Amino acid sequence: MQIELISFGKISDFISNQILEIEGIETTDDLKKHLEKNFPGLADIKYKLALNKNLVQQNSEIKNRDSIAIMPPFSGG
Amino acid sequence: MEGQERLTMAKILVIGAGGLGCPALQYLVAAGVGLIGIADHDVVEISNLQRQVLFGSSDLGLLKVEVAAKRLKQLNPEVKIILHPVSIDKQNILEIISHYDFIFDGTDNFESRYLINDACTLLKKPLIFAAVSGFEGQLAVFNVEDESGIKTNYRDLFPVSPATGEIPNCSENGVLGVVPGIIGTMAAGEIIKLIAGIGKPLINKLLHYNLLTQEQYEINISPSDEYKQLDSKADFMNHYKENTSQSYMEINLQQMNELRNHPSTVIIDVRERHEFPQLDSNIYKQIPMAEFAGFASSEIEQQNIILICQHGIRSVAAAETLHQKYGETKNIYSLKGGISKWRRHFLTKQHE
Repeated sequence: MQIELISFGKISDFISNQILEIEGIETTDDLKKHLEKNFPGLADIKYKLALNKNLVQQNSEIKNRDSIAIMPPFSGG
Repeated sequence: MEGQERLTMAKILVIGAGGLGCPALQYLVAAGVGLIGIADHDVVEISNLQRQVLFGSSDLGLLKVEVAAKRLKQLNPEVKIILHPVSIDKQNILEIISHYDFIFDGTDNFESRYLINDACTLLKKPLIFAAVSGFEGQLAVFNVEDESGIKTNYRDLFPVSPATGEIPNCSENGVLGVVPGIIGTMAAGEIIKLIAGIGKPLINKLLHYNLLTQEQYEINISPSDEYKQLDSKADFMNHYKENTSQSYMEINLQQMNELRNHPSTVIIDVRERHEFPQLDSNIYKQIPMAEFAGFASSEIEQQNIILICQHGIRSVAAAETLHQKYGETKNIYSLKGGISKWRRHFLTKQHE
């Protein structure tokens, strides 16, 4: 299935906005593992996912054509 | 009461008279709010001038709060301005914010942001959060209930503060001056909306703004159960107890398995009982976060305590709780990345 990845801040330096073809990934936990494996920089920073613009607070099912945002915290002022 | 009248009654504290604070202050004062507090202990430096638009080259070395107050008085002499030329810390924050109706966080570091968030959440103060990085900004309204009575705060978004160096700050990463200009101005807009009761403030929403594409992306924030709310002043003071030494260690799976062989080690799974995968209770003692405070009040006999959870976030909160109790007298660990990161191990190898 296909999902849309949208990234912000420092994360967009190594994960660009893209349509991602995924196999065998059914949940947001699976996706996190997949992303952290393929983009090792992600494993070292705090970030949150949003599934179709809703913050992911617990493992959630991913469906074809869902959009997933990957957000780091910002501290600058 | 009309909107303008409400504005003249409002008391707003702006923490951080920097890139975000300057434009927010200008528009709040121009709009005619009643009373503005400005908290900042820094002096004007030359590197500030590209984005901190209340200051000029003749102000170098002067206290920001004093220069800002002078400019703002020229703009609108009717507004009462209170100066707090102090570094906000755990000792003074509750007293300072207690005098205000709305708090604006325009600081530039995570330590201050978590402190301000926790203090505002404890005192139920509406908090307008703004932050920038590079060409992007974030904006949100915390501690204000939506129509369904739900409110959220920064810890619902990011339960645990990033470690030093994990996320670059402005001085490391740089920021284009207009970005805090835009975000700080938007923040002033949110405060005015909240006071006047107009429009749809960003309650339980995080707005992302990108200057390069002019795109905005809004995310709905829901409450998280991955942290423990600080419910009393004692909780708050305890959480922010002097704690410069490393309080606990984040370890990987291999380190956890090495420690497991040590006779005086206990591994505690702080997830809720319904969470999957269920682990062997002979190896992993299950104490859900909801029961953790009660558990932590009893004595743990083992010397090495390893906390685990699904993603390694709740376990950090649990590790902090235990560190407050045991200090350096016990070794406290949190499994980094949690069970989901090492899922294969927990699904297949736990009985070895």
